[in-house]
Amino acid sequence: MAVEMAYSELAAPVDLNHPGHYVHWGVVQISVANLVVIGLMVLVFVAAVLLPFPKGRGRR
Amino acid sequence: MSRRTRRAAEPDPAAFPTRPYDLLKEFTIALVAVAVLTAGLAALFSSPDEQPITLATWSAATPNDFTATAVTELGGTSTTAQYGPPYNHTPGAGQKIGPVGLQRAAGVRIPVDTAEDFVLRPLRQAPEPAEVSAALTAWTAAPADRQQAWTSAYSDALGKAPDGDPAKVEPGDYGPVPVLTSRLLALAQAGALDGQLLAQGRFYQTDYTRPMLFLNDGTYLADQARAQHLAGDQWGMMNETGNYPGQAWLWLYTFWYQIDPFKTSKNADALIWALMAVLSLAFVLVPFIPGVRSIPRWTKVYRLIWRQHYRGQR
Repeated sequence: MAVEMAYSELAAPVDLNHPGHYVHWGVVQISVANLVVIGLMVLVFVAAVLLPFPKGRGRR
Repeated sequence: MSRRTRRAAEPDPAAFPTRPYDLLKEFTIALVAVAVLTAGLAALFSSPDEQPITLATWSAATPNDFTATAVTELGGTSTTAQYGPPYNHTPGAGQKIGPVGLQRAAGVRIPVDTAEDFVLRPLRQAPEPAEVSAALTAWTAAPADRQQAWTSAYSDALGKAPDGDPAKVEPGDYGPVPVLTSRLLALAQAGALDGQLLAQGRFYQTDYTRPMLFLNDGTYLADQARAQHLAGDQWGMMNETGNYPGQAWLWLYTFWYQIDPFKTSKNADALIWALMAVLSLAFVLVPFIPGVRSIPRWTKVYRLIWRQHYRGQR
């Protein structure tokens, strides 16, 4: 009982241990989780290209 | 002479504008950001928590599949028994790239005799009921073709029995095979077989090759993998169990398995390995490949990154 309570307190707020969701498109089959990660990577790349460089002190 | 002239014509690097850049500051910020992200995401999502699949869980969940597989191990007709190198010397087995037999060239490095290693030795090592001792003696005394006839007949009978249930098999000449496989099933369900296949005479047992091969010869493991989208024809290499993101960077490696000629080739693993080796080499050599090395100049992404500098040049 005490062990169960300890486990529930340690459980992650978002539980992803459920059957995965997949997108099928012709021969392509990809999980929604992978799509989200790929989307985030593209977003970080675009931000890295487009965001201006921080203006540090002593910059010419 | 002309080389010297060209060198002299190169602009002086000191003539270009410069900007201050603190490498240590960037490293520290990146380290702290990644550490915070890792700890935060781990606390929020935790990690995949699948129960391990063992011979015990398999034999308890689908005993009929376990028995059918044990018969093929005993008769030498399982996938492992006919795999060829590195496990055994099956004639004609092993993947090739053109005329080059890679598996055969590497040789038999992990010898596996499925009948002896997966069935007979574990039965001998466990405390044997009298009928199992008699069955082992009968099996050992029989010539190879008789052993083959027994396992073949019992495999066929299991295939015809309702649900492959050994208890519903039609009577026939199966020799000691039903007794041996029935006892092996009992050992597996008790968890003893997992330990016996792991034991290699070392203090720490970390080599799961034999239990994994046995598991892989049945249909249970493959069914579990397929249900989690981990099979080769499901882009499984880049997937993870549950709703977790997997190895998205392996998309190209697993892509080849989805298309012809690879998806129908017996040599798919060897061919795709070779193809990816060639592509990886090409990637490393991008700066030396005419045309490909000019892509950054054509796409002009660098002008976007250094737009302030180029705006100032107008």
